[in-house]
Amino acid sequence: MSERLEDLSVAEAGRRLRAGTLTSEALTRHLLQRIEDLDPKLNAFITLTKERALSDAQRADAEFGAGKDRGPLHGIPYGLKDIYDTAGIRSTCHSKLRVDVVPEADGFAAQRLREGGGVLLGKLATHEFAIGGPSFDLPFPPARNPWNRDHFTGGSSSGSAAAIGARMMRIAMGSDTTSSIRGPAAFCGAVGLKPTYGRVSRRGVFPLSYTFDHCGPLTRGVEDAAIALQAIAGHDAGDPASVDVPVGDYLRDLEKGVAGLRIGVPRHFYAQAAAASPKVVAGIERSVALLREAGATVEEITLPDYALFAMCCRVIVSSEAFAIHEADLKARPLDFGAIALQRLVLGATFSATDLVQAFRLRRELTAQVLDVFGRYDAILTACVLTPAPRLDEFSPEKPDAVTQTLPFTVTGLPAISVPTGLSAKGMPLSVQIAGRPFDEATVLRIGRAVEKLTGWENQPFPEP
Amino acid sequence: MTELSPEDLEAEFDMFMARAGVALPADRRAGVLAGFKDLRGSLHLLRNGRTAAAEPSNVFRLTPLK
Repeated sequence: MSERLEDLSVAEAGRRLRAGTLTSEALTRHLLQRIEDLDPKLNAFITLTKERALSDAQRADAEFGAGKDRGPLHGIPYGLKDIYDTAGIRSTCHSKLRVDVVPEADGFAAQRLREGGGVLLGKLATHEFAIGGPSFDLPFPPARNPWNRDHFTGGSSSGSAAAIGARMMRIAMGSDTTSSIRGPAAFCGAVGLKPTYGRVSRRGVFPLSYTFDHCGPLTRGVEDAAIALQAIAGHDAGDPASVDVPVGDYLRDLEKGVAGLRIGVPRHFYAQAAAASPKVVAGIERSVALLREAGATVEEITLPDYALFAMCCRVIVSSEAFAIHEADLKARPLDFGAIALQRLVLGATFSATDLVQAFRLRRELTAQVLDVFGRYDAILTACVLTPAPRLDEFSPEKPDAVTQTLPFTVTGLPAISVPTGLSAKGMPLSVQIAGRPFDEATVLRIGRAVEKLTGWENQPFPEP
Repeated sequence: MTELSPEDLEAEFDMFMARAGVALPADRRAGVLAGFKDLRGSLHLLRNGRTAAAEPSNVFRLTPLK
């Protein structure tokens, strides 16, 4: 049987690259073949950058041979959601409006990954402009869920999640404005990390909402996410939201376990939600029990009503998204897909007063959630209320109906989605863990514990 | 907040689209209108009797020039 290189963690692949028992070119060729075999069924890619990937890989091998080491991502394949600008490579936002756009420069994260010696496999599908839905009226088809191709990947980082779930790569960059890293990660059995607002620069990433846009990785495992974040975190004067706070060491305490940590659980968010699947609720309760057994103090807490977070977020995101797309919505509305158009024009229906009230509500909600973090190291709750629904069940009128990500969007706090098991129908289940501002290290540490305690780290993935 | 009739809601929606300069295709109007009605029914959540001192989260900050 041939070796399953696609299952090597980033750290393990890195060890082998440095030991000379694996070349980046061999790893890259293996994944490119896997992508060519699987992508016609999954549509994870918009643009496969085969030549660039092989060039990156050969350069990495040459540099290792010459004793040059660019860090943990040197020689490691990755993908970028197609809203990330890439120099000389089209960046379409999965939209007819940008189908021929070829940026002159990399955005911040793309540049960091390139300079870190990563191997760019290609640009990945998204919901149109990171807000549409699974659409069939766009220049590229929607990505499919590798666990069941009739089911929704979640979005908007749909191709990133599909690529991880299909083991085409271990790191795929996404963006998260309402749920777009964490939701698709949860549906596709990936880890999805939304860092603190301001931790990772959004420069060179097509905006959806200036107030809520975050960049972050979707990965196969929590350790992979920690390594990816280490590479892309840091201050960038080119992003007005970027914060000049020292970057932590995201690997140092990763295996420390949860003994002594205090975790709050807003059970009312998911247990009382009409859409919640009993299997999802049971999966969260199981994770809570395992964390308690491992030494964490886990207590039920009360946060503000979820509907407040949802309304605050919808008004701000819709208003900002309309402002961004206003000219095209007026001049060429039919060039948008139906779902993106439907969602974007809603931003024209709010008054200036609505928007100001939403921003005032945001400050109040943030203060209330930060107050909880005076007593707890982290909050654990649902990421999604159901396993991935069927693709034809997606409702553009209620796009966020089954996600529970908005409290940490509105507050900008770091949050991670971690798979915990499978539903009776074999679709991934998950939990979401949020932490204090810029304390991604604790979020990752608890996520790693969940990954181990639930046994997910040994979960076989399906062959799509 | 006064409840609007379905007809008034539709008229309000059409006014918003006209004011924004968006010519919504007829086959897409129903979907957007449904979303609009859902949002319109929740706008009261933004207003909670806060005082005048409660500033929005997006206040502008200046730092000295170096």
